[in-house]
Amino acid sequence: MTRSLAFEAFRYSAILLALAVTLIPILWMASMAFKPVAEWQATGANLTWIPDDPTLDNFRFLFGESNSNLIVALDRTAGKPILSSLLSATFGTILAMTAGTAAAYGLSRFGSGANLPLALIQLRLFPPMAVMIPVMMMWAFLGLMDTWWGLALVYGIVKTFFDEMPKEIEEAALVEGCSRWRVFIRVTLPMMAAPLAAASLFVFILNWSDYLIALLLTTREWVTIPVYMASLSSSMTGQLYGAKAALGLIAAVPPVILGIVIQKHLVRGLTFGALKQ
Amino acid sequence: MTIAEVQPLSKLKPARDDGARLGFRLTLPAQLLVLFIAVFPLLMQLYISLTDWSPLSGASWPQAWQFWNSFANYSDLISDNRLWSALGRTLFIIAICVPIEFLLGLGLATLFVDDFPGKRVAYSILIAPMMVVPAVAGYMFFMLFQSGGPVNDILSWFTPDPVAIAWLSDRHLALVAVMVTDIWQWTPLMFLILLAGLVGVPSDQLKAAALLGASPWQRFRTIVIPRMKTIIIIALAIRVIECFKIFDTLFIMTGGGPGVATETISVYIYKVTTNDLIWGYVAAIALAILIVLSIGAVWAMKRLAR
Repeated sequence: MTRSLAFEAFRYSAILLALAVTLIPILWMASMAFKPVAEWQATGANLTWIPDDPTLDNFRFLFGESNSNLIVALDRTAGKPILSSLLSATFGTILAMTAGTAAAYGLSRFGSGANLPLALIQLRLFPPMAVMIPVMMMWAFLGLMDTWWGLALVYGIVKTFFDEMPKEIEEAALVEGCSRWRVFIRVTLPMMAAPLAAASLFVFILNWSDYLIALLLTTREWVTIPVYMASLSSSMTGQLYGAKAALGLIAAVPPVILGIVIQKHLVRGLTFGALKQ
Repeated sequence: MTIAEVQPLSKLKPARDDGARLGFRLTLPAQLLVLFIAVFPLLMQLYISLTDWSPLSGASWPQAWQFWNSFANYSDLISDNRLWSALGRTLFIIAICVPIEFLLGLGLATLFVDDFPGKRVAYSILIAPMMVVPAVAGYMFFMLFQSGGPVNDILSWFTPDPVAIAWLSDRHLALVAVMVTDIWQWTPLMFLILLAGLVGVPSDQLKAAALLGASPWQRFRTIVIPRMKTIIIIALAIRVIECFKIFDTLFIMTGGGPGVATETISVYIYKVTTNDLIWGYVAAIALAILIVLSIGAVWAMKRLAR
């Protein structure tokens, strides 16, 4: 089919426009992250789109180095929140993958736990806000408030159902002669390594992105990156845009890289397994 | 093991029981998690919602019966104007954002069905916003929408005078800014899902229809849309559900303000939970929302199944 020149021109300009709109906010944040104080404080006509004088000061500031152009110093560095985010996302992923993989196998092979799919879908459907009160009460009750593993537990369940299993795996379990448990461990799991890895990366991105649950369940000691980010403003300087942008850039790196790695599985993951690509 | 050694039937039966037991054990961790995080909290929530209990009331939650108020929380709900307007605002955001995201996503997906140079790179860039942590996206757009910020700077290129709109402190513009952010972040999801659907439409059918003289619009309406029906419903359903929960970006950009101008259901519940600390009442709101959503979800699933 030949297409008119006008159509091709329209097509390319539409795509370019979409790319520009997509990229400008991200590039703006990246540019802010490398600006010196005077530049990220500038407004209106003094805005610079590309830093005149690129610097790593914002990143240094985040990790405790004082900045001669800022009166304030941070009372705590970004190191611990980054660690907290990493730990809670990692442990949450491990918990979700363990419980989820086992349950998915039990369900698809032996028909056990038939109530699970609906229960887990409903957990995903409801606003987390709506069950947070009892969860907060339980956490305080159990002394888990403000610990990253309390967080991980929440993640664990909310994300469990993501781990949905393709049918081929059942055939592998048909190999008889050793116990079903061994079949599961030795045959099924290794066969599923690639999809399971993709699923874990997906769950990791979701855990890493969480804000609300961390906001409610952590107070100070183990706040995660998004919660910590809010503290990067002071009455003296107002919003510390440069530091925020630098931290935002750091926070954006893992999911973007992982997202590219699992690009093939994204449709499936994002539609909760309803669509198979 | 050789084929000759295949186990006799009598031995297979215990193996099946063995399977049922293993199945039970395998699903146990997930069942326990559901119990711990959904069933138990819901019962607790039901109990608290029938009382005036709050964490400041001096008694621990199991003693909440001392503050028993029957169904007063539930009748308060009905006359809570702030709750109803938060609900209305949430539905308004869904009604504006989801259709725009759908149309933009569909439009972009149609442009990506055929190959063109640089398609892979363009594709990766277009889906990047989904990967940006929503809280970070919130900060990003908070910066962009400052009155001395880049959005106004770009607008200034097209106007004689410099633009200095205070986006986030105007009641209506704050809502616009919040919706623009949601559209920026989630149009890529629509694009991704709809593109997966479009690619699956058989091209020989399209070619045959074209040979028979069907216009592009006719082809789209009679071949593409029916084929994509399920996918479109899934894409819309996911976005409606997620948009109903909207919190991260919005809360960071405006905190629900100015005043209550951008207060959605999640933000309202959050504020009552953390500022007012009237947890008995919050529990009632949360349960009411869960019940309404459950009924809605069951109804929608039944309709979809047909």
